[in-house]
Amino acid sequence: MTDLLDAGLELLDRQVLDSRGTPLGKVDDLLFTEADANGPPALTALLIGQRAFGARLGGRLGQWWTRLAERLSGRQGPFEVPVAAIDEIGTVVRLSSPAEAFPRLTAPERWLRRNVVSRLPGAFRESD
Amino acid sequence: MKKVLSLALGVFTAIGGFIDIGDLVTDALIGARFGLALVWVTVVAVIGVALYSEMAGRVAVVTRRTVFDLIRERMGARVGLATVVVSYLVNAIALVAELCGIALAIELLTDVHYLLWVPPVAFLAWLVVWRVPFAHMERAYGLAGVALFVFVVAVWHLGPDWGRMAHDVTHPELPYGEGLPTYFFYALVMLGAQMTPYEVFFFSSAAVEHHWRAKNLTEVRMNCWVGYPIGGILAIGIQVVAYQVLQPAGIQVEHLSQTVLPVVLALGKVGFALAILGIVAAVFGSTLETLLSSSYTVAHHFGWTWGKAARPADASRFHTLVLITLLAAVAVALTTVNPITITIYAVYLGAAVLPVTYLPILVIANDRRYLGERVNGRLANAVGFVYLLIVLAGALAALPLLIATKAGL
Repeated sequence: MTDLLDAGLELLDRQVLDSRGTPLGKVDDLLFTEADANGPPALTALLIGQRAFGARLGGRLGQWWTRLAERLSGRQGPFEVPVAAIDEIGTVVRLSSPAEAFPRLTAPERWLRRNVVSRLPGAFRESD
Repeated sequence: MKKVLSLALGVFTAIGGFIDIGDLVTDALIGARFGLALVWVTVVAVIGVALYSEMAGRVAVVTRRTVFDLIRERMGARVGLATVVVSYLVNAIALVAELCGIALAIELLTDVHYLLWVPPVAFLAWLVVWRVPFAHMERAYGLAGVALFVFVVAVWHLGPDWGRMAHDVTHPELPYGEGLPTYFFYALVMLGAQMTPYEVFFFSSAAVEHHWRAKNLTEVRMNCWVGYPIGGILAIGIQVVAYQVLQPAGIQVEHLSQTVLPVVLALGKVGFALAILGIVAAVFGSTLETLLSSSYTVAHHFGWTWGKAARPADASRFHTLVLITLLAAVAVALTTVNPITITIYAVYLGAAVLPVTYLPILVIANDRRYLGERVNGRLANAVGFVYLLIVLAGALAALPLLIATKAGL
């Protein structure tokens, strides 16, 4: 990984998978921080989720999107996946831990499973 | 032998996937109104949809990435979201039309009002999405959809004048009393009906659902370059029988029964039964495809777990969206909205979103980081570029034509 990486083209909006290949979402935004006053900003985290996506959209629609997502999730600010948790960057971004390590990222999926899908017969059977 | 069988089955599913309620209505409507003057549009549409489906399918088998993944990646958050919203709406409106279409076909058979058939058909569609394995689902409606060949057989039974027909196809002429804007409006409607965006989304998602890998490229190519052209022959058959029977009689197509009428005239009860079987099967297939595609697009945009291979509990956001979409479509259908009108609008909106879905496919199909050696050749790029211009021109002309012709009146 000594090649240059164009973060806007090769990182932003890529699919994020956990270590077992379960989809966790998209790279909705990137977090850069300045280590010291003179140095260049460094990438510290991937931002994932609807709150980050709202900020990405910008404008009134973006504000509205973020506010709705904050109200639904009851939390402020986007979910951050630290750069250290990334295993591999290719056509997808693969993280080094399984989905259970990121409970906040899988919260909407789990809420709908508990309250909607698992109430229907056959939800836990594979069709193949 | 098993390989041949699997290839043949794939071709059948492509035929079933090509013909939907939009085709059945617009083909008959256009055949009755413009004769064979728009057959060339079907040829243009089949080549375009096969070309772009092959590219999207190739990208999907090599990288396991689907069309909406790529749209977001290449077009960014805003354009990506706009495309998802419009495509979702196009698919959902098409779903309403497909549900009404099956219900109307069953009404022809049973004389029970179509609105009563909408809820049970929708429930059956949900059950299939919830429980039936993907490959079984495709094969069932693909094979039964082959009954639609009665439309092609009927062409022979109606005593065709081949010489005149060949002349009409190659020298398109405006029928008396029709204006040029109306002609182009219907050309665009036909293009939208046959190059429906959901065919490409669905095909690329289906390649992933089938767990196809790079070694399955033959399947991808057979489905596109054999399956779609056979679907195109069926579509032309429907136009030709409408031209043979409905146009001389001055019948305007306002109901699905008029699509079937020429077949009944040519082949009697057997023809009627086969036509209804074929229509119900093909349109039920499209119901599943539009339902799944609407939820695929959203799930792919946001990167959720999706698809039929996973247990529903493991793809809860996807399955919740399927359920909401289906309930909303049933609710809209039950408002007694005119199914033919809604079909025309669905097809039309579809034509307007084609450029944004085709551009990212063409770009990625040329990216060696994704496809390695399997990038597009020169011919595919040249033809692909021409098609991009065609769909762009169509999308730009869509609104002015809609207003100028008052939606084809």
